[in-house]
Amino acid sequence: MRKALSLTAAAAAVALVLAGCSGGDDADDAPGDTAAAAAGETTVDFYTDKAAWEPSFDAMNGSSAEEGLELAFTGYSDATAYDAFIKQAFRTDRVPDLFTWHTGGQLAELVEQGLVAETSDLWAEAEANGDVPAGLIDNYTYDGKQYCVPLNVAYWAMYYNTAVFEELGLEVPTTWEELMTVADTLVANGKVPFHQMNIIFEFVWFQAMLAGNDPDVYQGIATGDADYTDPAVVEVMEQWQDMLEKGYFIDPGVSTDPQTLLSTGEVAMAYFGSFFTGQLTAIGAESGSDYGIFTIPNMNPDVEQKQMILETGPLCVGAGSANEQAALDYSAWWMTEAAQSAWTAERGDVSFNAKAPLSDPELSALVEEVSSGDYQVQMRYLEAAPLPVYTLSTEIFGDFVTNHPDPMPGLERLQAEAEAYWAEQD
Amino acid sequence: MTLTTPAANPVTATAEDAAAVRRRPDTYRWSSRAFALPGLLVVAVMLYLPFLWTAYLSFTEFNGLGDPEWVGLAKYREMFADAGFLGSLGNTLLWVVGTLVLPVGLGLLIAVLAHGIKGSFWYRLPFLLPYAISGVAVGVIWTFILQTGGALSEALTFLHLPGQDLRWLLDAPLNTIVMIVAATWQGAGVNALLFGIGLQSIPKEPIEAARMDGASGWTMFRHVTWPMLAPLTTVVVGLSIVGSLKTFDIIWAMTKGGPGRSSETLALTMYKETFVSNDYGLGAAVAIFLTVITVAASLLYLRRQLSDAKEL
Amino acid sequence: MADRMRKAAIVALGLLWLTPVYLMLANAAKTDEQYGLVSVWQAVGFDGLWQNMLAAWERGRISEGIASTALYSVASPGLAVLVGAAAGFAIVALRLKHGFVWFSVIFSSTVFPIQMVLMPLFIGYVEADLYDTRAGMILIYTAISVPFSAFVMRNFFSGIARHVFEAAVMDGAATWQIFWRIYLPMSGSALVAIFVLQATFIWNDLLLGLTLTQSTETRPVMTALSALQSTYGGSTMPTVLAGGLIVSIPTIALFLIMQRSFTRGLALGQF
Repeated sequence: MRKALSLTAAAAAVALVLAGCSGGDDADDAPGDTAAAAAGETTVDFYTDKAAWEPSFDAMNGSSAEEGLELAFTGYSDATAYDAFIKQAFRTDRVPDLFTWHTGGQLAELVEQGLVAETSDLWAEAEANGDVPAGLIDNYTYDGKQYCVPLNVAYWAMYYNTAVFEELGLEVPTTWEELMTVADTLVANGKVPFHQMNIIFEFVWFQAMLAGNDPDVYQGIATGDADYTDPAVVEVMEQWQDMLEKGYFIDPGVSTDPQTLLSTGEVAMAYFGSFFTGQLTAIGAESGSDYGIFTIPNMNPDVEQKQMILETGPLCVGAGSANEQAALDYSAWWMTEAAQSAWTAERGDVSFNAKAPLSDPELSALVEEVSSGDYQVQMRYLEAAPLPVYTLSTEIFGDFVTNHPDPMPGLERLQAEAEAYWAEQD
Repeated sequence: MTLTTPAANPVTATAEDAAAVRRRPDTYRWSSRAFALPGLLVVAVMLYLPFLWTAYLSFTEFNGLGDPEWVGLAKYREMFADAGFLGSLGNTLLWVVGTLVLPVGLGLLIAVLAHGIKGSFWYRLPFLLPYAISGVAVGVIWTFILQTGGALSEALTFLHLPGQDLRWLLDAPLNTIVMIVAATWQGAGVNALLFGIGLQSIPKEPIEAARMDGASGWTMFRHVTWPMLAPLTTVVVGLSIVGSLKTFDIIWAMTKGGPGRSSETLALTMYKETFVSNDYGLGAAVAIFLTVITVAASLLYLRRQLSDAKEL
Repeated sequence: MADRMRKAAIVALGLLWLTPVYLMLANAAKTDEQYGLVSVWQAVGFDGLWQNMLAAWERGRISEGIASTALYSVASPGLAVLVGAAAGFAIVALRLKHGFVWFSVIFSSTVFPIQMVLMPLFIGYVEADLYDTRAGMILIYTAISVPFSAFVMRNFFSGIARHVFEAAVMDGAATWQIFWRIYLPMSGSALVAIFVLQATFIWNDLLLGLTLTQSTETRPVMTALSALQSTYGGSTMPTVLAGGLIVSIPTIALFLIMQRSFTRGLALGQF
């Protein structure tokens, strides 16, 4: 065993030497930098929890190179680890140059602490150029000033499997009643109408139905002006429970990818954000022929405007970061038509910039419908709700989706949490 | 050179040795410290310092941004008052008991079955493979075995066995139990290996003597084999207790403690409070609570076992 | 007769144990289209395997992570084995005062959940300029391997008869010579056993790598691999499984290669 021993010792020694040599990894002088600097290019350190989007961001470097900007990508595959990393990074001298985050309460937190750079000028220019739709700016405004720029937007709509619909002679529903009839027909024929999850997106049916039942209450629970125990909310929960009991939803224990479930027809419909298109394309499903998209009708036919839930994620610049100005320049460029056209081409998803061409037929139809029809755009529940309330809701809705118990205790707990939160704010 | 003496027969001290020691009490004072220092140092700096920081945090209110604010015992009170805490504690205990029954129990069974068979390594290999497979893959495989309508439900349907409609990962405490099964899959092999070694080193004489007295099978095991396995059992049980209290990856990969909080254990509560709810103080309180229990349990258990066996 | 029954029982158990591995292989070998169409139990041949492995290799950027991970998995257990043995030697052979207390201190650190030390380590590393360095990773991986190593080695050394030590002293050997030339070689197999178990653990680590590194040169392989599974449009199941297979090959190989020493080592590393 002497040999094993000496080998181990040698390995350890070599390792230490190697480690010593590559100990300079923490400085950002990767070889690419020197070349880039020579070519007049600045490299911005970019962080995101969407690690799977790396190829797309690398592709964008091809276009941003014209502006003399390039991203050095660091992706985190674990969202919670990422959030913690970013927050802790602010306590050190490694403030991130550019990073993705979450709108709503989480962005508010960073703004309050002065951790993100102001972007009011960038927004003014973007709005003047017509690069951003009206109203989007509200998601990024605090105390009259703007912070961060939009990374992306997603419209939440219903994806459906065309083959299943054709097989049963179903038409795309335009009212809630029609939607329920479609669901009934599917169940009667042994099919599962809707997809649902009890983690991550457990709240989406709640948001769709509440916004469509009483949009004022939907906005109210986000601002503390309405209660979770309001009749409008209780109605929604009761309707939801009824649908669960009628077997309209797939068992949440099925954890197969939703795109696979939809494309094989295991679920007939799936309520998702428009990023779902990318996931469907990745498994070879074709827009228009294999699946279609329609907007979910209002639960309450008396609500005048059609409701559209919009999700938007920010691209933020760390205040005081090493390449702050370059990151800001990148942010400004990101909103332009050129950048957004490259992005939609890359990802096949919608852009907030209406000028970026959209080749996907279903998505174009969706965007047109939303912009031309009489739609009220709402913030997604995840971002709208105060953080502690949202965290509690993951538990409550997750349990509701799984076991559909009496909703009142859960609603009361949410209300208690909301009241505690709003009390602290005053 | 002399042989090493297996510790199963622990009496290695002779009168001579004892005398030798008494003759030179402090000769190795400095060298012993020098040898122990690297180990103590690296552990103190890399592990105990963070632990102390966490202990400090458990008395503060801190959300990851800004500075921690001292609040005394408030976080501990909050922890005990939390509605889900009792459930989390219960699940943790379920894991400890379950881990003793399944991975340890099965490990013992496998070792006993494989003992003495020629080429036993190959018979034991299937049980060792899971330990070598990456955690990412293990979580994925078991999720699609246990998901509703997944591989297990399909198999049960095919074999016309009951339980096809059980929602393995959704209903408590079933979800905790099936996750313990997944953990067993990963851990039983190493236990089997350890027990196997213990079995191999039991000297032949007592077994022969007992056999001549007419003992066999269960009686043999209970009165001869099992007591002689004691030192090894100590280690396996000790490590299992610690391991089961720390279990995180499997639960996080399969249910994230859900649905709701039904499969949450203390290790998950700690993680969720810190990284998801951003209540670092509460997460730290749970961490300290968990650590104290674990250290107390394992030290009590080990001290009792190890000090009988060794002269220290 | 009883022997044959025992053999049958263990073979049956072994096969049962292998079913998840079968599922992993069968589904890693399917193409994306096939995966959705057939039951997970059904194997449809190996069409997709090569393709999926390539996809996982590229998208999981496995090639970049492997060099670093290999370094960590060799250096850290190697160091930990030496450090742990030294501590065991100090406590047993050199009769360190309050030996059991110090041993408990070292061993107790194994109790700390990794999640607890993540954030303090991150901050500390950044301040000490160890963040995103290979040295930093080797350091923490060594630290978490030392307790188990000390535990096994302490037990092993206490099985070595005292007069071995006494005789060496009378021969005029210095303590470090006794350690290096007598005790360590005698415990070769135990050292191998510790090494194999810890190397596997470090190879499979995700959280420490994710928190304490950032650049591709230093990042271990699991961090990129788990990105394949991300909700925001990760890869499909067959690809993820194929990736899991690829990164498990080294550890499985390690077990197979070291098996004899490993078994012997644990035997002699008696408790």
